[in-house]
Amino acid sequence: MSDRPLDSAAGRPAGGRRWHASMAVGGLITLVMVAVALVSLVWTPYDPAAISIPERLQVPNALHWLGTDYFGRDELSMLMEGARNSMAVALVAVGVGIGLGVPLGLLAAGRRGWLDEVVMRVNDLVFAFPALLLAIMITALLGPGAVNAILAIGIFNIPVFARLTRGSALSLWTRDYVLAARVAGKGHWLISIEHILPNLMSTLVVQATIQFSLGILAEAALAYVGLGAQPPIPSWGKMLADSQTLIGLAPQLAIIPGLAIVLTVLGLNLMGDGLRDLLDPRLRRSRS
Amino acid sequence: MTLLSISGLNLSISGTPILKDIALDVEAGEIVGLIGESGSGKSMTALSIMHLMPTGSVKTGSITLDGVELVGKHDRQMCLIRGIDIGMIFQEPMTALNPLMTIGDQVAETVRMHKKVGHEEAFRIARDALERVELPIDRFPLSLYPHELSGGQRQRVGIAMAIALRPRLLIADEPTTALDVTTQAQILDLLRRLVEEDQMGLLLITHDLAVVAGLAHRIAIMRRGEMVEHGETGDVFRHLRHPYTRALFEASRHQPVRLAPEIEPDAVPVLDVRGVVRDYAKSRKSLFGPRQYFRAVNEVSFVIHKGENVGLVGESGCGKSTLSRAILALEAIQSGHIHIEGEPVGTGKGASLAARRKMQIVFQDPYGSFNPRHRVERLITEPFHLLGSDAPAGRDRDRRIAEALDNVGLLASDANKYIHEFSGGQRQRIAIARALIIHPALIVLDEAVSALDVSIRAQILDLLADLSDRLQLSYLFISHDLTVVRSITDRVLVMKAGKIVEEGETEALFQNPQHPYTQQLIAAAPHLERALAARDIMGDRNA
Repeated sequence: MSDRPLDSAAGRPAGGRRWHASMAVGGLITLVMVAVALVSLVWTPYDPAAISIPERLQVPNALHWLGTDYFGRDELSMLMEGARNSMAVALVAVGVGIGLGVPLGLLAAGRRGWLDEVVMRVNDLVFAFPALLLAIMITALLGPGAVNAILAIGIFNIPVFARLTRGSALSLWTRDYVLAARVAGKGHWLISIEHILPNLMSTLVVQATIQFSLGILAEAALAYVGLGAQPPIPSWGKMLADSQTLIGLAPQLAIIPGLAIVLTVLGLNLMGDGLRDLLDPRLRRSRS
Repeated sequence: MTLLSISGLNLSISGTPILKDIALDVEAGEIVGLIGESGSGKSMTALSIMHLMPTGSVKTGSITLDGVELVGKHDRQMCLIRGIDIGMIFQEPMTALNPLMTIGDQVAETVRMHKKVGHEEAFRIARDALERVELPIDRFPLSLYPHELSGGQRQRVGIAMAIALRPRLLIADEPTTALDVTTQAQILDLLRRLVEEDQMGLLLITHDLAVVAGLAHRIAIMRRGEMVEHGETGDVFRHLRHPYTRALFEASRHQPVRLAPEIEPDAVPVLDVRGVVRDYAKSRKSLFGPRQYFRAVNEVSFVIHKGENVGLVGESGCGKSTLSRAILALEAIQSGHIHIEGEPVGTGKGASLAARRKMQIVFQDPYGSFNPRHRVERLITEPFHLLGSDAPAGRDRDRRIAEALDNVGLLASDANKYIHEFSGGQRQRIAIARALIIHPALIVLDEAVSALDVSIRAQILDLLADLSDRLQLSYLFISHDLTVVRSITDRVLVMKAGKIVEEGETEALFQNPQHPYTQQLIAAAPHLERALAARDIMGDRNA
């Protein structure tokens, strides 16, 4: 344990340049995916819903860069629009999880007592439900569609974030600086916002990227069983599901959306790693 | 032959030199004290002997145990030496034991790991070892779990594990730092007895000169990875040849200069505590049985006048922290009342804003006292929250920040830095700045210098004394360290099991303690001058 102040260069841990690499690679992949999704709003090479039976099951060529599917739809166009749908579902679902889960976790950790018990037991209840079953229930009640998929995935993100927040917050509440804030007369909410939340950020960011990737996978799973986005709206999961029967005939139809999912998840995880380091002033390069 | 002989030991971790040319001998039956401040490399020296250094370490030089070279030995060979030939005792008795294993299993496990003996035989050895560390089998059966023991008893189990196989060398890294003074004295006695009985060599690593002065045959002093002095204990203390040794010695018995406070007994006291009681509800034994209560603070009354420094001493669990939290309105009290300059701190929900504005606290751990995400400027202005809309803003706020930082000997430009850019001592100064910024009447110092190295501690004590004189501040100085309390306080309260058992002027109380508990505390506390007097060193020095 050194008693000297950590100066800018010497204080950085060995291998401190690592986040540069993972941040850059992860950021680049994510950026490309987001850009592709955004471009699909205004332009795709073909209409992703346009069926052209004579052109079906083409391998990648000059006209159809990623080939065509069983109905002759352009694979690249579907992938681009699918990126938008898959990411939107995952993003909103994570947003629902953070937006409701984090405040609930903070509340439970800050107030303790019966409120804590109620919040956490309800969380347990949601956790105890099989995710897919609830998704099927919701879609059975409200009908299949992207919005209901978001709802189903989002609900399962709430207890994840609530538990994580509460657990980490509980240990932060015992810190001396929280005690100092209480001596300064600050209330539960103010301390939660000023002292607890900022110190949870790194944990939350990492969890958010994990949940985002899980969200993409969950959307794929729901679409696979036919409960996600409905035809003709494309999504990565549905593309995978459709290619299932053709896997021997046209393996690229499964590989392309699969690769897109893997790449996006990888990019997000790398970026989360980098972000965690970037958000921590202890690991940040000193500005002096 | 020399039991342990280290020569020319160099250690570097990923290219950074940590130890430079260390030379140290330990004979059988000898206690060698290894002293240094944090970062001096004393623990790293011990880990080098055990070959337990962090990954990326490069070790050169020679370490021999009974003539057998240890440097360059393979990890697997070292495993055979650790535990059998070298035993080790750690600082933290709370974490050194596995909470899920009984004490018998833990001691027997170390035996079976190193010796091919049956279950019965291992337990017989474990039983012997526990007897030897004064945990008699009829009162401490092998089936006890660590949580059923006190800190001192756990440390005894740790010692039993280290000595079960009768190693020739025992390494103790701050074995008593986490313990209360009376327990510390008992553990040190035990170590001394075991060394004599087994003719072991003991390498005792500590930051506390007073501990080694009374115990070690020889001492070695380390600083920044180098050994600055090494010799027979009496000799080292008698001559204090090296300037660093002298500096350490002076810092250990440092006495900050203070003016005697002018106390006006008729004025409203800064802190007035009357008959305060704090009960904790225990968990129910049976569903319908009455709730049991544990009385942490029992009918405590005292006052602190303006400019007065009052010490509160007692061993862990005596209620001193609970009392301080009650004063700061962090805990509700069940009866009695607390007034700060006449403002009630309320028995019900928290304190009035007026009362809170008059008190602040400084904690023990300089590393945990600050939110690492905020800049110093935001950290130390946190108490401004108490002023609500009256809080200074703009240039006025900057002036207050600069004033507070200046008061604790830091620069105004430090306000823009993050807390990790400061050392432990500097952080404690920032903690004091945070307490000062709102101009309180009372600062509660909860073990505020206990985690600091002696030289830094001396500086912080000087700072506190100076602030108290200049700003007419009152302190409630909570500590288990009697030497520190004696050096800075005007009056002392001795607390035991929730009650204040003795109260008096500091010097008078230390010279002539009345209550048996106070006498016991003072007798048990390691005391540098007393230890040296016993060795007849002070006499020589003063002559």
